[in-house]
Amino acid sequence: MNNSAAIEVLGLKKSFGENHAVQGVSFNVNQGEIFSLLGPNGAGKTTTISMLSCLLRPNDGDANIMGHSISTDPMGVKSVLGVVPQDLALYEDLTARENLSFWGKMYGLRGSTLKTRVDEVLNVIGLRDRANERVGKYSGGMKRRVNIGVALLHKPKVIYMDEPTVGIDPQSRRNILDSVVLLKNEGMTVLYTTHYMEEAQELSDHIGIMDHGKLIAHGTHDELVKMVGQQTRIDLTLNGNADQVMAAWKETEGVSRVTSDEGLISVLVQDSNLTLPHLFEAATKHSARITSVNISEPNLEAVFLHLTGRALRD
Amino acid sequence: MIRILDIAFKDLLQLSRDFKTFMFLLIMPILFTFLFGYAFGGFGGNESDSRVPVGYISLDDNWVTDELHDLLDKSEVIRLDENIFRSTSDLEKLVADGELAAAIIVPDGYGRAVLKDKTIRLTVLADTGTQAWTTIEAEILTAASRVDGAVRTAAIMEQFELEGVPFDYAFDEMLAAWEEPPIAIKETSSLVIEEGGENNALAHTSPGMMLQFAIAGLLTAAQVIVTERKSRTLQRLLTTATRRIHIVLGHFLAIFLLIFTQFIILIIFGQFALQVNYLRLPSATLLVAFTAALCISAMGLLIGILARTEEQAITFSLVPMFVFSGLGGAWVPLEFTGKTFQTIGHISPVAWGMDGFENIVARGLGFESVLIPCAALAGYAIVFFILAVWRLNAAEEK
Ligand SMILES: Nc1ncnc2c1ncn2[C@@H]1O[C@H](COP(=O)(O)OP(=O)(O)O)[C@@H](O)[C@H]1O
Ligand SMILES: [Mg+2]
Repeated sequence: MNNSAAIEVLGLKKSFGENHAVQGVSFNVNQGEIFSLLGPNGAGKTTTISMLSCLLRPNDGDANIMGHSISTDPMGVKSVLGVVPQDLALYEDLTARENLSFWGKMYGLRGSTLKTRVDEVLNVIGLRDRANERVGKYSGGMKRRVNIGVALLHKPKVIYMDEPTVGIDPQSRRNILDSVVLLKNEGMTVLYTTHYMEEAQELSDHIGIMDHGKLIAHGTHDELVKMVGQQTRIDLTLNGNADQVMAAWKETEGVSRVTSDEGLISVLVQDSNLTLPHLFEAATKHSARITSVNISEPNLEAVFLHLTGRALRD
Repeated sequence: MIRILDIAFKDLLQLSRDFKTFMFLLIMPILFTFLFGYAFGGFGGNESDSRVPVGYISLDDNWVTDELHDLLDKSEVIRLDENIFRSTSDLEKLVADGELAAAIIVPDGYGRAVLKDKTIRLTVLADTGTQAWTTIEAEILTAASRVDGAVRTAAIMEQFELEGVPFDYAFDEMLAAWEEPPIAIKETSSLVIEEGGENNALAHTSPGMMLQFAIAGLLTAAQVIVTERKSRTLQRLLTTATRRIHIVLGHFLAIFLLIFTQFIILIIFGQFALQVNYLRLPSATLLVAFTAALCISAMGLLIGILARTEEQAITFSLVPMFVFSGLGGAWVPLEFTGKTFQTIGHISPVAWGMDGFENIVARGLGFESVLIPCAALAGYAIVFFILAVWRLNAAEEK
């Protein structure tokens, strides 16, 4: 195995009848980094995670988790793993503390270690005050946090999080994203799936883009964006002689194209930080005022569009 | 391995949060034991008629036989329990089971034989080891002798008058007639008639309701298993280093502990509140309770695995409850039914459980008498458990 690879995925395939849900996916995740699988619903993210957690047997291919093969050493895999499933998987008639306590035992914790860890995790997920309420009475966001907390109890070396922020309030979402970064800082390797490109962009060291069961691209955020070769777009509105100003901007260094549509002027540039001051200078020279500016950095959305011809969000 | 205990404990915690668990396992059986016990005359029976029930069949049609019947029927000690549908073998069973204290069978030709001064005897089935027997024997002997004596005296007097037979011959004849008692006693296996008729109904309904509601109680236990699968907590359990068989055994253990505790509580209740003598043979009672709990919890495990929804878990528990209880004689004792039905009834594990408990509390049999019922219950437990594991594996083959 590659020394620094915590997760090594080798040509995984899985079909459900005629539905080829995962069609030969391969990637590596280095120890201590966050790897995001980004893709729309039905792309095959959960199926991939299920195979990597030894819940589904692949039709073909293999994977090593911290050196344990999912096909020959599932118990070894499970012993280094924490899994946050996409669907809430908790006992609703038990309290948060009882849930954590039970799951801790399933992860092999006992006695005072268990008790300490349950308290620590309750702190991390911010539910210490309400630990003795039944989970069934919690809000969606609180349940999600318990769902994540369960997987942290035994401080696993590798943690999978399958769309942990689906359907919750912005505050809980923030709390979860922050805690993912905390996990990474503690040295855990995180495999994160999402269909929100902002999350992938914010969190990840490496990103894999999945669609129709295939990993269509992977790399760092910058690598992926560069692959598309797209430029930053600056949208502006003006008070003054638009034609004169637009003509001047076309001559400005770093600008590749200027177009206008019903008063909104779009300028394509290589680097907005370098070029934007020159755009202001030119406007001033022609006695015009810039009344609004909007900068759109090239993003994963554009990458996905470029690769599949479809928008990430449908 | 310790995870089995953890899972069982978790299940029990969940079950304890569900009021239905207590309702089905404790409240309902106690309520229904009283209800059925009352319906079957379990209470107050001794107030209306304290005479001992004695079965009676006459295969003879003669006025002498009718005289005997009338004499017996007027008895202060015994109460003739007659049913024209009963056969001799039915009576044997009823006496053996302690439902009847004894039974009298009047053989064909009894009346004519008595008239013609031939030796013929009534057949009496009884357990001669009981206290009640002495009284019953005396009563039947008295009646039979009165009939016999009256007829013979009448006949001899007639001979005197018609033929002038010498008196000493007649006296010898009369003495000879007394050499053999006019009844033949057939010994049956020992039984506990002292318990009295008034307890027989409870000795039946107490184990009957206990077994029936143990099965009803499976619905909450099965729901825990179904919910675990549907809420995907089972999937999550499988992502931990917990083996599938440990999960299965954990659930099995939880249901077993629940049912076994129910049995113990209801047995103690039956013993002290209802005077059903479970503790006559504590080890036998414990063995029946243990194997019956094994069998019913394996059934619960199977139900939990077969049911796809919580609603199905309820149906899958209540249907076997009715079928097995009805078939197995938890409501109406199988002895009251025909041979065929008794055989069919023993398809139901409840029938074996009833046999086991009733051998102890109603039939007064020994420890060995529960061994076959217990073996049958254990056999069912193994079958149910294997089916459960097989279904679980089949469901996961995808
Ligand atoms: N257990 C299953 N049986 C049949 N089809 C499935 C099953 N799980 C997933 N699929 C199908 O596989 C494809 C990928 O699903 P999934 O891995 O859940 O995607 P994602 O998690 O990216 O939304 C979908 O078409 C889905 O319908
Ligand atoms: Mg998914």
